[in-house]
Amino acid sequence: MAQTRSKAAFSEVFAYFGPRVKGYMMRARVPAEQAEDIAQETLLKVWRKAHLFDPSKATASTWIFTIARNLRIDAIRKQARPQLDPDDPGLKPAEEPQADELTERAERDARIRDALHILPNAQQDVVKLFFFEDEPHSVIAQRLDLPLGTVKSRLRLAFDKIRKELGELE
Amino acid sequence: MSMIKHHASIDTLAEYAAGQMDEARNVVIATHLRLCKQCREIVRDIEAIGGVCLEDAEPVAMAEGALSTFWKIADHAEPITRSASTQPDNDLRPEVALPLSAYLPGGLDAANWRPVAPGVSQSIIEAEGYRRNTLRLLRINPGTKIPTHSHGAQELTMILRGAYRDQTGDYGAGDLADLDGSHTHSPEAFGDEPCICLIATSAPLVFKDMVGKVIQPFVGL
Repeated sequence: MAQTRSKAAFSEVFAYFGPRVKGYMMRARVPAEQAEDIAQETLLKVWRKAHLFDPSKATASTWIFTIARNLRIDAIRKQARPQLDPDDPGLKPAEEPQADELTERAERDARIRDALHILPNAQQDVVKLFFFEDEPHSVIAQRLDLPLGTVKSRLRLAFDKIRKELGELE
Repeated sequence: MSMIKHHASIDTLAEYAAGQMDEARNVVIATHLRLCKQCREIVRDIEAIGGVCLEDAEPVAMAEGALSTFWKIADHAEPITRSASTQPDNDLRPEVALPLSAYLPGGLDAANWRPVAPGVSQSIIEAEGYRRNTLRLLRINPGTKIPTHSHGAQELTMILRGAYRDQTGDYGAGDLADLDGSHTHSPEAFGDEPCICLIATSAPLVFKDMVGKVIQPFVGL
């Protein structure tokens, strides 16, 4: 998608991610009309930055997620202050990467996808609620009938399992 | 930065990466991330999980003609070029780290410092939090000790200049103290310059002794 800036290819990206970004916004109680606008805005940003996107640095999903997430934060906050972005994960670095950065991030993202999908469904749900819901801790507690304090440990357990799959934890 | 010894917890980084953190705490974490590759990598992993969640998300149909609406604008939109970073990655001064500098246009020295206790002054930074004034700079002179306190919920402290020490260790520039209600501490600044920290809390502090209880309403911590 990056190099070609082909309209046909990008229209497919739009058809796939547009409705998902809209759904993601609505889960945070952004009204439908505004969610539609933010989905448009997200994909516009993706299109306008597509030439900078480096597929070895991130999967398209990771990159689009961060763009959508930042716009969602901007939408939820009362004051308009652009979301801070210390490290836009999809963009080509300005300088040559250092040796330890040469591990292909996109490959790691793919392993993360597998690691999430092999979690038991109940744990995947906790993770997804955490990303999607507004005030996720209390929503998770309510949905799964857990004490608030347990929600954090459930989440941590899920993240630890994923990182263990990546070989980050013993 | 290999000099950074104290990091954010994975819970905190996950909250940040999922976009579930209030603005005040977000500024502290984003500023730490700018300097801390180790935490940045973890955030990246969690963002990748977010990417998968987005793929798996229940789609909600876009309005009719959404694609042609898109191209009407996109066809005329200029590509966004990467803004040149004015700060090299090895610049260790946290106060020039980009996320914080957006909130401190005049830099640290031009901040609106007000004395709050002997040897301690603070400057409020406007940001949304669990209530007003949750994001603040604290400047502590060397040898000055903050009265013993714990935290109602979370306290994120990033050290910008100087150093302090408490029951959990020594903290220097770039370090992040990620404390919750289970920690009780009495940080004391040391070294040859005042210790300047960026602090965001998610609930009021709980002071343990009379001095703290007496100064609390005045300090607003």
